[in-house]
Amino acid sequence: MLSQILLNALALGASYALVALGFVVILNATGAVNFTHGDMVMAGGYVALAVTSATSLPGVAVLALVIVAMALVGFVFSGLAYFPLKSRPPVSIFISTIALGIIFQNSANALFGAEPRKGPALFTDGLITLGDITVPRQALAIIGVAALLILLQHLLLSRTSLGRKLRATAQDREMAAAIGLPVNAMIALTFAMGAALAGAAGMMLSNTFFVTPTDGSNYIVKAYIAVTIGGWGSLAGAVCGALLIALFEVLFPSLPLLIPPLKTFAPWLFTQTASAILLYIGLLAIMFFRPQGLFGETVQRRV
Amino acid sequence: MSRAAPLPAPVAALATGIRPLLLLGVIFIALWPAMASSAYELRIFTLVGIYALMALGYQFIFGHAGALSLTQGTFFGVGAYVTAILATKYGLGAHLTLPLAAAMPVLLAALIAAPVLRLESHYFALATLGIGQVMLLTAIAWEPFTGGSNGIAGIPGVVLFGITIPKGMGIAVFAWGAVACAALLSWRITRGLYGAALQVARENPIAALSLGIDTARLRLVCFLLSAAYAGLAGALFAHTIRVVSPETLEFPVMVATLTIAVVGGRTHIAGAILGAWLIINLPEWFRGLDKYYLIAYGSALLLTIIVAPYGLIGLLEKWRARWFPETAPPPPAPLALPAQPTRMTGDGKALLTVAGMVKSFGGVKAVDGVSLTVNRGEVVGLIGPNGSGKTTLINMITGIYRADAGQVNLAGVDITRAASHDIAASGIARTFQNINLVDEMTVLDNVAVARYRHAGGGFLASFRGGFSDPAWRLARGQAMHLLQALGVDDCAERAAGDLAYGLKRRVEIARALALEPRLLLLDEPAAGLNETEQADLAERLRDFARAGLAILVIEHNMPFLMPLAERMVCLDHGEVIAAGTPAEIRANPQVIEAYLGAPEDAGA
Repeated sequence: MLSQILLNALALGASYALVALGFVVILNATGAVNFTHGDMVMAGGYVALAVTSATSLPGVAVLALVIVAMALVGFVFSGLAYFPLKSRPPVSIFISTIALGIIFQNSANALFGAEPRKGPALFTDGLITLGDITVPRQALAIIGVAALLILLQHLLLSRTSLGRKLRATAQDREMAAAIGLPVNAMIALTFAMGAALAGAAGMMLSNTFFVTPTDGSNYIVKAYIAVTIGGWGSLAGAVCGALLIALFEVLFPSLPLLIPPLKTFAPWLFTQTASAILLYIGLLAIMFFRPQGLFGETVQRRV
Repeated sequence: MSRAAPLPAPVAALATGIRPLLLLGVIFIALWPAMASSAYELRIFTLVGIYALMALGYQFIFGHAGALSLTQGTFFGVGAYVTAILATKYGLGAHLTLPLAAAMPVLLAALIAAPVLRLESHYFALATLGIGQVMLLTAIAWEPFTGGSNGIAGIPGVVLFGITIPKGMGIAVFAWGAVACAALLSWRITRGLYGAALQVARENPIAALSLGIDTARLRLVCFLLSAAYAGLAGALFAHTIRVVSPETLEFPVMVATLTIAVVGGRTHIAGAILGAWLIINLPEWFRGLDKYYLIAYGSALLLTIIVAPYGLIGLLEKWRARWFPETAPPPPAPLALPAQPTRMTGDGKALLTVAGMVKSFGGVKAVDGVSLTVNRGEVVGLIGPNGSGKTTLINMITGIYRADAGQVNLAGVDITRAASHDIAASGIARTFQNINLVDEMTVLDNVAVARYRHAGGGFLASFRGGFSDPAWRLARGQAMHLLQALGVDDCAERAAGDLAYGLKRRVEIARALALEPRLLLLDEPAAGLNETEQADLAERLRDFARAGLAILVIEHNMPFLMPLAERMVCLDHGEVIAAGTPAEIRANPQVIEAYLGAPEDAGA
């Protein structure tokens, strides 16, 4: 039972990790919060749906198309939401991304309707029996694909010369420009990368949890919380934060299944709603007591 | 250009800027209900008023305090639910539901303020978003009290002490009456010294703290005000629509409010009303677009933030200033500052005592056990190579940084742990190495706002006086006097950001003197000045010291500092390596080594 729950948590956490990772690469490169990021996850789900209904490609090929399409969306997005406002205070970008979020949501609503739709599976639907537990193929596929994408992302940033340029831009834009790096291209590329990661996550989540046009706000909040828990700007922290959130979300409501006495103790406490409320309260507590995140170091603001 | 007969002040004020246009707007709103042909149109008119009220409140936290709060919709929803529950379950009239619906969100705001308000921008936004989610989920889950996802229906209309306000026209006029009162309140709070303090606290919090302005308190007041306005708007909404559901707590309400403030203008009262009028009517106008209208709405928001960062009202003001320029009103007559009993002539007694100060940044000791004293009426020079800890020391004295160890005493009072704004109020004024003026404000206003504490500025004080704020008039007169004392009065009405570097430095000194300090901390005051200006500045500083002011000057410019300072202290690697008269310092081999490097390296 426990191993089943942990596996579900890992599959959910892997998707959340992709969402949070995309959010944090854009955050690092621009210093701006991309509030449309959740809606990009939703968009990824719908792109996957559209591709599947138009072609009969296998799931993995659909995923590749989703990644490419969302990367293009990210490029265009940076030209609308970021570049016109890059010399303004960060809050302007926050608002411009809220505006684009409205556009994303309502375009999805106009194109696909408000009712939940089930996205395509990565491989085939069905169950696999591993020892004493039965797991959906999709859960295993999500974990595998997400791990692969996170690894690729890590290798790109740490091992390639493009990754070095991207990191240099994220660390100090003026310095990067001074040594002749194409800073604007690097930032646009970062947006493409962030959107692609969000899109990939969106496709995987749309199969398990379905997709509706208003899903974005849930995912952006999850990404935000993951990044806050993991330490603002930390890639590894964002992945850890995402896994922790998923573990809590899956584990907490199923505690009465694991520990039967809890069933009679406080049935109202172990509901989805109560666990969501607890998650936010936990987040507020973390921001209050450890604003640098659970794993981060204290950063003093210089005058 | 001189006018033959000056108009009375309020009339003249109404004829300036875009105000004639706004008057037309007011007349338009007043005539609107008469033009409305159906109950539906009257309801839209009422809704515009309700959203204008909510946006007016949002302007306090988002516009005046500059914090992106995402909880305004939550305050609105809480106000609506409180009204619904009190009116349907307890049968309370509107004379009770309205104040209680305003009070509950204020209470909620006060509760969450402690953990949330001190957070930096995006954390603040996230935290407020999280609180909104908690309230929404609670409203859905707590069914016996809130009606769960169905909400509460059958809310009565507005009944005040047994008198029923009729539906339609009655409630519309009632709601717009509330908007008028709220707008008047907003205007009073922000028209003078308090409004200027809000602007400095928003644009340059470090400068505001150094002027004795408690930025956290200002933020709190704004947050509570925004909650009160939103709660009242929520109550009016509940009484008008007669149904409350979890939708009132959902994010679209918040997005609409944010859009109103961005499109109309973040700090303009007229902006909240214009914005509400546009955003509420947009779906009506774009009805032909069907479900695509929200896309148009998002595009409108995106477009405004790009082309009109100060909203449509800000854009109108810009056009008016470009096409119909007005002559600026003459600067106020200078008013001398009151005589200062604290400024006795130099009696040689220690005013500032700093002992054993330590500060590390990530393991690097920036300041390591520094002690020094400054006496009344004395100019002390603080020198040392770049990175030797001079500015860090000043930041610790003024409470910007918390010292890891050590003690700061001002006239025998321990101020080591005091808050930055209290330290400023207790008599320590400073200038900044990198200049911290508010670029968009005029030179005069930059200095006048520093009179905040002395002129009795504050939230309640903003209710004094009539058309203009008496404290602000006094502060501006006194600021004019200080500008004269520093010889920069001829640029009083220019935007501070437009001044040359040397002038900015003098304006900062004038601003510091507006605090009537006992101790003045100057961080590289001569940087960027030519030799004549340096000599002039040195002369003025000597005068201030003769009048009893203690001055600590950080400076690299020795020809400027040597004749000015009576004593000097030299720092290197965060430690005092020499102290004495300028002549002693000049001859000190350690000082020479620190500045020029060791001539013969004796080995480590």
